[in-house]
Amino acid sequence: MLTLGLESSAHTFGAGIVDDGKVLANAKAMYDIGAGGMVPSKVAEFHALNAAGVIRDALDKAGITLRDLEGIGYTRGPGLGPCLQVAQLSARTLAHRLGLGVAMVNHCVAHIEIAKHASGLKDPIVLYVSGGNSQILKLAGKPFRHYRVIGETLDIGIGNMLDSLARKLCLNPAWGSTVAKTAEGGNYIELPYTVKGMDFSFTGLLTRAEELAAKMSPKDICFSVQETSFAMLCEALERALLLTNSKELCVCGGVAQSTRLRSMLTSLARENKARFGYVENEFNADNGAMVAFTAERMLLHGASTSPENCDIMQRYRAEEAAVF
Amino acid sequence: MRKLSRGAEATIYLTKIFGKEAVVKIRESKGYRVRVLDERIRYYRTRSEARTIFRAMAAGVPVPTLFGVARFSICMEKLEGVLLKDSRITPRQMRYAGAILSLLHNSNIVHGDFTPANLIAKGGKLHVIDFGLSESSNSYEDKAVDLLLMKRAVSGPLYKHFSDSYFSSSRSSKAVLARLSEIELRGRYRLRTLGPATPGKSSGNQRSQTPQRQG
Repeated sequence: MLTLGLESSAHTFGAGIVDDGKVLANAKAMYDIGAGGMVPSKVAEFHALNAAGVIRDALDKAGITLRDLEGIGYTRGPGLGPCLQVAQLSARTLAHRLGLGVAMVNHCVAHIEIAKHASGLKDPIVLYVSGGNSQILKLAGKPFRHYRVIGETLDIGIGNMLDSLARKLCLNPAWGSTVAKTAEGGNYIELPYTVKGMDFSFTGLLTRAEELAAKMSPKDICFSVQETSFAMLCEALERALLLTNSKELCVCGGVAQSTRLRSMLTSLARENKARFGYVENEFNADNGAMVAFTAERMLLHGASTSPENCDIMQRYRAEEAAVF
Repeated sequence: MRKLSRGAEATIYLTKIFGKEAVVKIRESKGYRVRVLDERIRYYRTRSEARTIFRAMAAGVPVPTLFGVARFSICMEKLEGVLLKDSRITPRQMRYAGAILSLLHNSNIVHGDFTPANLIAKGGKLHVIDFGLSESSNSYEDKAVDLLLMKRAVSGPLYKHFSDSYFSSSRSSKAVLARLSEIELRGRYRLRTLGPATPGKSSGNQRSQTPQRQG
């Protein structure tokens, strides 16, 4: 089923095309956050200006025209309201014109589904780490098939924490991958470490790191923040693995692009005799293909909405979305 | 030493000390952490756990006797008995558990995982084990979370026995009770842990369909 997926929950406008679970195109335009971060209205304007071009790009890459499409999906949430509106409006307009049904996709579920598919894992414990979200999830069956959150951040997402640190340290571009580069060869400084059962918290760590910014080298701060926060994730994850007796582990979301995090998870999986899988970076960063992939499954199972009933949900939790 | 069980936090071994059976709880090194952080976590948690067991004992709470503490390990008495979670829990045991928790809280110890999985029934008495997540704290929030964990783990009538007994002897029952209702109303908890809302109350709310989290 030729499906177009549109994503605009944060800094990326993405358009992906999937047919029968195969990704045919994954086009995107990313807002340049520079050293200042994201201003929702400005990002939304960027998306609105780029939407048509990115969709066209995706259609060209897949070698199809709009008329060939059999289904459309877009990110319903979670995300920034003004940004989410752009993909929603684009999807509604297209669906209305082409007479197609629309799948309203949960962003977290889309990240998980494509990673699970690519890594070939059946029922893994999932670590979903991105700017706004940091959660440990597992598939549950009742009362409908959904991803149950078994652990999560008690305050901010880990990506958000790394981005804030980058801004404080005046790194450019101000986000996690720059923190990772700066961290190379750093030494460990003691920082707050907060894990409560399978939940974790990042604000205390961030505040302390920001206080130290004036006295310590950015290299040591970045190194220590990364080591501390990733270790917190690993500890909560190990507890989740043992509690659920699971032997599969999967990581996804923007922060899953971190090579250090992946090497720590590899070690964690080995110590627990679990299989570990992830997807290529192209699909870990926000993208349209994951939305198209999830939308296709939803539409095949009849989870279709008419264009006039489409909406956005800024705080759309993974647990509220049915999984097919 | 024979390995009894491996948890995320530590591994439990069975051993003998002065001819008496004992357990050794060892916090093992994790390959994913840098060494400084790894040793810091293991050292401070071991020390804090041993201290809390000792303070609980001084407060009159039945806990395993401490035999010795090393950098990353604690050696303590092996309790012969049945885990409460593996037996048929009686109302009397729940009242006993409530009294124990109020004793802990009155000494400003929060257990962090006060459930039937960490209570051992032995000769009409209950013993509390696993202070691995415990803290010294006088916050109503932490205390309320202790109650919430038990509430999630047992049936409604059994929890009633537990809470009645707790609140009759707790020094800060009003504040803890207020905080408990507040926590239960928080969106994240309602969604994650407390399952279906009362039918009719929020029928249009898809959140109410989310199942209970199993402890």
